[in-house]
Amino acid sequence: MTSDNAFAVELKGVTFRRGTRTIFDKVDLAIPRGKVTGIMGPSGCGKTTLLRLIGAQLRPASGAVIVNGQNLPDLSRSELFDMRKQMGVLFQSGALFTDLNVFENVAFPLRVHTSLPEEMIRDIVLMKLQAVGLRGAVELMPDELSGGMKRRVALARAIALDPQILMYDEPFVGQDPIAMGVLVRLIRLLNEALGLTSIVVSHDLAETASIADYLYVVGDAQVLGQGTPAELLESDNPRIRQFMKGIADGPVPFHFPAPDYRRDLLGDA
Amino acid sequence: MRKTSPVERVRLLGRSGLDVLESLGRSALFLVHALFGRSGAGSFTQLLVKQLYAVGVLSLAIIIVSGIFIGMVLALQGYNILVDFASEEAVGQMVALTLLRELGPVVTALLFAGRAGSALTAEIGNMKSTEQLSSLEMIGVDPLKYIIAPRLWAGFISMPLLSAIFTVVGIWGGAWVAVDWLGVYDGSYWGNMQRSVEFRGDVLNGVIKSLVFALVVTWIAVFQGYDCEPTSEGISRATTRTVVYASLAVLGLDFILTALMFGDF
Repeated sequence: MTSDNAFAVELKGVTFRRGTRTIFDKVDLAIPRGKVTGIMGPSGCGKTTLLRLIGAQLRPASGAVIVNGQNLPDLSRSELFDMRKQMGVLFQSGALFTDLNVFENVAFPLRVHTSLPEEMIRDIVLMKLQAVGLRGAVELMPDELSGGMKRRVALARAIALDPQILMYDEPFVGQDPIAMGVLVRLIRLLNEALGLTSIVVSHDLAETASIADYLYVVGDAQVLGQGTPAELLESDNPRIRQFMKGIADGPVPFHFPAPDYRRDLLGDA
Repeated sequence: MRKTSPVERVRLLGRSGLDVLESLGRSALFLVHALFGRSGAGSFTQLLVKQLYAVGVLSLAIIIVSGIFIGMVLALQGYNILVDFASEEAVGQMVALTLLRELGPVVTALLFAGRAGSALTAEIGNMKSTEQLSSLEMIGVDPLKYIIAPRLWAGFISMPLLSAIFTVVGIWGGAWVAVDWLGVYDGSYWGNMQRSVEFRGDVLNGVIKSLVFALVVTWIAVFQGYDCEPTSEGISRATTRTVVYASLAVLGLDFILTALMFGDF
């Protein structure tokens, strides 16, 4: 296996700005193929932006985003749409199509990208729903599902075309412990059963550390640290330690930058 | 509250001017991509029929009811003025010309902006805020082709038809008031209309106006939805903008088109 093949996704010197704010400053990051990689960091540090850069929904100001050997900023609009067939994304809200039932939601990618006969589409949809444990919910509409079920249907839809790369955007947010357990198990299981490359963006430390083979911690527009979950837990870097141990104040300050407190309350007097 | 200096005000003015230009540029690119980009996923006809129903058929009730009432009011007001000059026989011609040249296309476009345009903006804005548009992109389906194009075409096709229906029921409403109620001789009502209405000058110009309004109103509606801030407040602002911008654009364009079509320069 060549070094290029060892990584499904590579970011090289990626800078991304929103207005005048720099979200990423010359970030280098590589996602190993066939593994579960966790991308962690405090809320608002640009984790979802990172997923959107990998999905080419956003363009970096500079640098290369290489997915399966192709530099995304170089691709045309139609080449990008073709390339995205190799990717699946599980959005935070599930993002199911509200006018289609569960079956049609999962069948959607198959209908638009393949010309398979109806019976085969039906079998594939039922298999994908069986994998997430929701074959029985095939007739339900999205508004009849709980939050956890929506995410599982969205997961079934994301794997409908058997993508090579599957990205999860905050999969554990707002889930009850049972739904959380189910998702954690599913992510690991699907990764192994389908030979996927999984990218899990999350700030839920315990869950992500329990399934990830490799972790990145991002913050301050940089990659603060990387390694296996065990390596990061042992890290001497104060920023990583603060995040991994959940300490409120430290190198990442508790307070948003603000003028002097005393002056703000009492004025110049 | 911080005071803004005059220089800062000039800067903000310039900034908002640039924002408007940028938004115009974005909306033009958006239209070109939606109408002429590569073909969308799935059967376009099926998507179009669904939208024709949502945008066109469901607007029929408001268009028909408004058309009848506007025709009736026109006949009543026209009769009251014309009867003083003993010219009440011309009421049919007046109703038909007013509806064909002006009120048919304009009122239909205004009603369409309020009924279907606002619904389009809210629907697309909601799809954006619930990440359905992003999700389509990541499935490898261009939302401009799958969501926007069928809605644009549906508006473009259905509004001229709605305008024609509006005009026809308006003329019927006028006939009901003028002929059946006020006693204008029906031969004069229909005969004067037939003699004075020209196909090219009146009917065709009305259709052209209607096509222009259809494009502008639907374009504004879908663009505002697609470009809105994906929050509940952003969607409500975008929906308001659709109705305001579309109404102003229709009225402004109506003047320009009328001047070009009927002005003697």
